[in-house]
Amino acid sequence: MLLNFLRLLVTACVSAAVLSGPVSATPAKEAPWLPEAAAYRLTLFLGNLEPLPWDQVAAAWSEPYRNSEFSSGALEWLQAKSEVDPKRVQEAIARQDRQALFAGATRLIALRIREELDRALDATDPAAARQAVQAGRELYRAFADGIKAADPEAARDIGIAWLDLNSSVGSSGVLGAGATSADREKMAAASAVISGYLTRNYLVGSFAPRETLSAVPETAALDGRAIEVPPSLPPGSDIFDQVPLPRLVLNFEERGIDETDLPLVAYGDMLFDSSQIFGSPARELGIACSTCHNRSDINQRLFIPGASHQPGAIDVDGAFFNPIFNDRRDDPIDIPSLRGLRFTGPYGRDGRFASLRDFTRNVIVGEFGGEEPTDFMMDALIAYMLEFDFLPNSMLTPDGKLTDAAPQAARRGEAIFNRPFAGLGARSCASCHVPDGNFLDRQAYDIGSATPPYAGARAGAFDTPTLLGTLYTAPYFHDGSLPTLGAVVEWFDDTKSLGLTGTESADLTAYLETVGAADDPYEAFDDENTTFRLAFSELTTFASTLDTLLPRRDAEHVILLTDTVATDLSRDASTMSNLSARPEIYTLADRLAEVGAAARAGDWPTAEASWAAFQALAAEIDGRAF
Amino acid sequence: MAIHLNRRTALFLTVAGTMALATPLAAQGRTLRLAFIPQENPEKLLGDIGAITGWLSDEIGVPVEGFVTIDHAAAVEALRNGDADISFMGALPFVLAEVEIGAVPLLSEVYRGAPNYTGRIFVRRDSGITTLADLRGRDIAFADPISESGYLYPLAEFEKAGLVEGPGKADDFFGRIFFAGGYQQAMQAMAEGLVDAAGVSQYADLLLTPTQQAEVTWIAQSDAIPSHVVIARPGLDPDVQQRFVDAMMKLNEPANRDLLRYLYGPDGYVIADSAAYDGVRDMARKYGLLR
Repeated sequence: MLLNFLRLLVTACVSAAVLSGPVSATPAKEAPWLPEAAAYRLTLFLGNLEPLPWDQVAAAWSEPYRNSEFSSGALEWLQAKSEVDPKRVQEAIARQDRQALFAGATRLIALRIREELDRALDATDPAAARQAVQAGRELYRAFADGIKAADPEAARDIGIAWLDLNSSVGSSGVLGAGATSADREKMAAASAVISGYLTRNYLVGSFAPRETLSAVPETAALDGRAIEVPPSLPPGSDIFDQVPLPRLVLNFEERGIDETDLPLVAYGDMLFDSSQIFGSPARELGIACSTCHNRSDINQRLFIPGASHQPGAIDVDGAFFNPIFNDRRDDPIDIPSLRGLRFTGPYGRDGRFASLRDFTRNVIVGEFGGEEPTDFMMDALIAYMLEFDFLPNSMLTPDGKLTDAAPQAARRGEAIFNRPFAGLGARSCASCHVPDGNFLDRQAYDIGSATPPYAGARAGAFDTPTLLGTLYTAPYFHDGSLPTLGAVVEWFDDTKSLGLTGTESADLTAYLETVGAADDPYEAFDDENTTFRLAFSELTTFASTLDTLLPRRDAEHVILLTDTVATDLSRDASTMSNLSARPEIYTLADRLAEVGAAARAGDWPTAEASWAAFQALAAEIDGRAF
Repeated sequence: MAIHLNRRTALFLTVAGTMALATPLAAQGRTLRLAFIPQENPEKLLGDIGAITGWLSDEIGVPVEGFVTIDHAAAVEALRNGDADISFMGALPFVLAEVEIGAVPLLSEVYRGAPNYTGRIFVRRDSGITTLADLRGRDIAFADPISESGYLYPLAEFEKAGLVEGPGKADDFFGRIFFAGGYQQAMQAMAEGLVDAAGVSQYADLLLTPTQQAEVTWIAQSDAIPSHVVIARPGLDPDVQQRFVDAMMKLNEPANRDLLRYLYGPDGYVIADSAAYDGVRDMARKYGLLR
């Protein structure tokens, strides 16, 4: 068991290492789901999408969920491990009957829990009984949030029953020593508590129709109460920051200006990392601008089933984030980098927003269902995002020419890049990716990269993307359909009949890779310069805007700041290497929460005193905050 | 998880060493066999074993095979009858195996800079519980009755405080005692308010969500518990044993540290110090596990 722990601990530490979003609300690394429990949770999640992606529901049962530790999908797993028949689930999927799918899948999980309870009771040795109890408890996870939200008392009773059950299976001891026998009476009583609840709530003859699919127990669903089950992402989701973490290049910082002297920018920096500006479910899930745009760039690992067709892509106007904004089109896009944002307008992959301000408001209010941001918030966010600079690249001059540091192949490629091609309408690559214009022309073209959505559609034009920094932003094109820059060259060669020789293709690719390169593309960390250190530094910088906001008695923006920063400080403490300093970070977060509480009460002297206490404590623990 | 192994089930994974078998030992056809204790998912462990035994074969110059046993007892049995040469093992089963078959400690795992750790008593920050005495009549979850940091060592703190008289007397002090099945389950039970305290490894709070971690604290800490150990069967060829140890110590080098994740994920290894396990030996005697 200790070995198990170390493995879990490693998992926790691995997650700590990859949480890394300096101030993103720290997501928790989930324990692995058993295949059928994962399929059930995916079914609930996908079943709430409109239109319902039946092919993905079918895959949820037939294939291992993304990043699963199990090589088999739920159906294969059930065949090997269980007597429970998944026929009803399969039939419901074939008929595309949502209610029948919910009923069949819910019963299946309940029956599996019962099967494991029976196995535990029938087991002749403690190890087998314990395995069955653990399996049953892991399957119960599939229902746990619904029961907790609807019936906390039952959730508690069942929680105690699992503890009772596990405590009474006996022990094989260690190498024969310390063995104890099972207390079968206690086991039966505990099992009956769980089994009885399942019978009344998850093994009923027919389930009431569900507007929203969730694990809420049937008795609670029937009594018509509004039950808020906290939003969750299904198994296979990944909203951790990418590793390695992209390096953030801020214009003011490179010039040596301290962010604490730019309160509007610092507040915008905070908002960029704040899930508080979004509505539910993004807010509860800790999703912020920086979740997709890690350090102004991209997040190559981001994946949400039903919303992402591949890692690093997401459909932000689907059913999940803001149903009223659902365009009912399955059109996830590859997350674009925001580097050099002030040079890359218009905004959106198709350039549909001329104004960055309009685009940003649409993200907050439209795509993620947030409340209307204040003018101050918009000013701050824009001020911050306008500081995003491209990555320095010593192989490129400011006007887009190669320097002596560039390789020879890239030099040959540069000539090809500037060569007019008949297939490009006598234009060159450089006609659109203008070297002295940051390798873009701020125009949109239909190059045939998108399948027309209907006959005669003129809807496939996309903005010319910059080529700067692209060596680190694979895959390419609006839908991320091309995995490498070499594949991009090949695509143009094929579709535009460029007639490149193999050498020319290689040279052109080398040129793109040189233009897209950077001197230091990623953040560098070490034992003390940790991801938490970066988060601590940023969060205390954000807090410094209180020096501006408190004298203005600006309660609204003080509260938004303290809610964001206090929460993130506390959560990010879980990523610390210096575990002994964690309690101090919790205390620091408490001080900031006190500022917010006082601002809510209009008690400005207390708010200022708590802010002073925060500053004093932050200075004191600065050297230990890693 | 629902992996149903039985004592006779050994999930064998033979890994062909990739190095040319040029050394005298290899020429003799010797194969070094490693026993692994199962984790939650033996399927994953098999993949890990493949990766590490391949590397070890290259380093040691003899074929290395790994296999998963049902539990510690099966691993010790494999060492006793020669089916395994080396095994990964917890501290408590090691001190028992030492007495039973003369197992030899080779290497100790290092975690966060030390070859040892502690057990702690965790409570919720808002519980008002600040001392062990506050837990009189309250409910506690431990991990497992034969776990060092998940029961024996944390319980010893209550003995030291004069609150529990000794082994078998814990019921007189606490309300209810649960064995939750693991550190995470015990911590979760405490964090969710099902019980008032959890007696588990010092690092177990890292298994909670970040929000829960901020909501819990600890009120007592045990003596140091030596970490897991890599042991050899008595009579293993000293030269092979030394090569194995040398190879394992290379895992501490930056270039090889990635491989540690295939071995239960310690930060590294140190040469085992048998004396470091005296405390575990004493604890095992006290609880009647060792005579």
